[in-house]
Amino acid sequence: MYCVYCGVRLQEGVRECPLCHTKVQIMEEGGTQEASAWPDRYPGAERTAGRILTISLISVILLAAALGCLIFCLKSRGGVAWSGIAGLGMALFWVWVVLPSCFRRWRPMVFLPLDFACAAGYLLYICEATGGRWFLSFAFPVTALAALLTLTGVAMMRYIVQGRLRLMSLLVIAIGLSFMLVEFFQHITFGTPMFVWSLYVMSVFVLAGVFLLVASFIPPLRLMLRKTFFY
Amino acid sequence: MRKQWYRLDNAALIFPAVMRKNWNNLFRVSATLKDPVDPAVLNRAVSDLLPRFPTVFVRLRTGFFWYYLESLDEAPAAEEDYAWPLTPMSRRKLKKCCIRILYYRNRIAVEFFHSVTDGNGGMTFLQNLTARYLSLKEGLKIPAEGRILDPAEAPKTEETRDCFQLCGAKRGISRAEENAYRLRGNPEEGFFRHIVTGILPTDRLLEKAHAEGVTVTAYLAAVMAEAVLKRQQKDANAGRRRHIKITIPVNLRKTFGLETLRNFTLAVNIGFDPELGEYTPGEICRLMHHQLAAETISQRMAGRVTTNVQLQRSLALRLVPLPLKTLAMRLVYSISGESKGCLNISNMGVVTLPEVMEPYVERFDFIIGVQYSYPNNCSVVTWNGKTYISMIRGIRDSELERLFFSTLVERGIPVDIESNGR
Repeated sequence: MYCVYCGVRLQEGVRECPLCHTKVQIMEEGGTQEASAWPDRYPGAERTAGRILTISLISVILLAAALGCLIFCLKSRGGVAWSGIAGLGMALFWVWVVLPSCFRRWRPMVFLPLDFACAAGYLLYICEATGGRWFLSFAFPVTALAALLTLTGVAMMRYIVQGRLRLMSLLVIAIGLSFMLVEFFQHITFGTPMFVWSLYVMSVFVLAGVFLLVASFIPPLRLMLRKTFFY
Repeated sequence: MRKQWYRLDNAALIFPAVMRKNWNNLFRVSATLKDPVDPAVLNRAVSDLLPRFPTVFVRLRTGFFWYYLESLDEAPAAEEDYAWPLTPMSRRKLKKCCIRILYYRNRIAVEFFHSVTDGNGGMTFLQNLTARYLSLKEGLKIPAEGRILDPAEAPKTEETRDCFQLCGAKRGISRAEENAYRLRGNPEEGFFRHIVTGILPTDRLLEKAHAEGVTVTAYLAAVMAEAVLKRQQKDANAGRRRHIKITIPVNLRKTFGLETLRNFTLAVNIGFDPELGEYTPGEICRLMHHQLAAETISQRMAGRVTTNVQLQRSLALRLVPLPLKTLAMRLVYSISGESKGCLNISNMGVVTLPEVMEPYVERFDFIIGVQYSYPNNCSVVTWNGKTYISMIRGIRDSELERLFFSTLVERGIPVDIESNGR
């Protein structure tokens, strides 16, 4: 069986030429597929034992540290006190870092919403524990905004193939504008003056976004950017 | 028992310093037998060879000033082969053993970290492993001839020495040369490497090379240079057309008449400047042939070895602690280490076996890993009238392989293609 394009002889049973990827159209009568010369075993599987040990070790250390803090506070302060913040901080670390490594593949659209939800819950606990009134008007909307922008960015990178640069430039502009919203939430919560720092940050992001947007319409500039930042 | 240790030879020094988490310099040799491999017998054969090859069964250790190799007390167990050949060895693995012994169906393969040995040393080890395996499995009496060593004999001093220290000239020669065109492409996911093997009848290849009045290595380098040139012409991002250069590792054992089981090769870059005008295939062949002949004369090789060895011997450098040395080597390597050639063509030459072994062996393969920044590499081995050209790539684009093999077909050499494509 020969490749009609390259002229090389192919192994029996292959679906396409490995050189030019031309599909093999005519399968020889009674032709059998040759046994693959390469196995299905992947080197990643080997690391599982070591990985489980590391995950278990980190989890045990975190749990011991959290319990240690709790016992110390119960004995010395007679209550949970700061050990709740420390313990939940360790739990947050576990969710963010240790939990994803329990899975073979990190799935951002599953883990990222969970990470942001846990972060919001942690901030709510700190707010309640310290008697603050900043969660609903500041921490929650800022966390939600960050989650929205991150998930949009990740979804764009994963699921959109065409026009990524253009969409990315719009996202960069949106991130810039979101800093003004953050300062707005800061203003209504803490009474700080408006537009002290966010205008500068927003300007930088909007300029970068506009540059990327312009680049997306100019093929040589787009190619130059791709070449420079490829690896 | 006191463990034997070895300083890294001159060529091996760079590999541990420049290795990354996702890349290190590996190569693989394999022998495909007529019958399926028995892992238990293979493990016995490996254990039997442990005392005979103390420089091959080693692990990488870190000293204060240099890395070094330490012999193993116990032979590594043979493992079933991977779907991803030449997967990088982590530092942790290298601290345990610098080679992998693999089997799959009829095939015995050995993957080496390049600090241990070069292709020739690797092939010697593989042939001895195959010989030992066949003598255990089939009860063959294999004479110690050619690359086959007597397993009962103690290792000879010349097998374990660093030959680079023995073949210097009075002064070194400059390493300065033009940078070469860099092949690029969309990197492949994870550690997967595409391997496309072209199987050619050796007599036809020789006939074509001799018709041009060149050696097989020069002929293949010329065809590859043409393929790279065509690739460059299609590359819209190439800008100024840089030199097309092919890196050829040269076996110094023949040049200096020395034998060792450690690294003893030196790479030379041969090629041309596409900005000077158009070249015909015949002109490229002659250019490659004459450059290769001129570069590989013993005097020039000795001069280049001297340049490398002088650096290693410099007191100022020797007194620098390893982390700083590593940093400097990484910096130099990233700036100029891989910028002088487009890709390697490593030709192992003709593999021969004692007559008694031949009926049991189907084929040999030789595959070198990709470099850190070159996405393509090529290795060649000839066995039993067939030449096996393995092209490896870490990118998705197979244009270079297509151009190379289809040029060979156009010139009248039939090519059978195999790949590990998924």
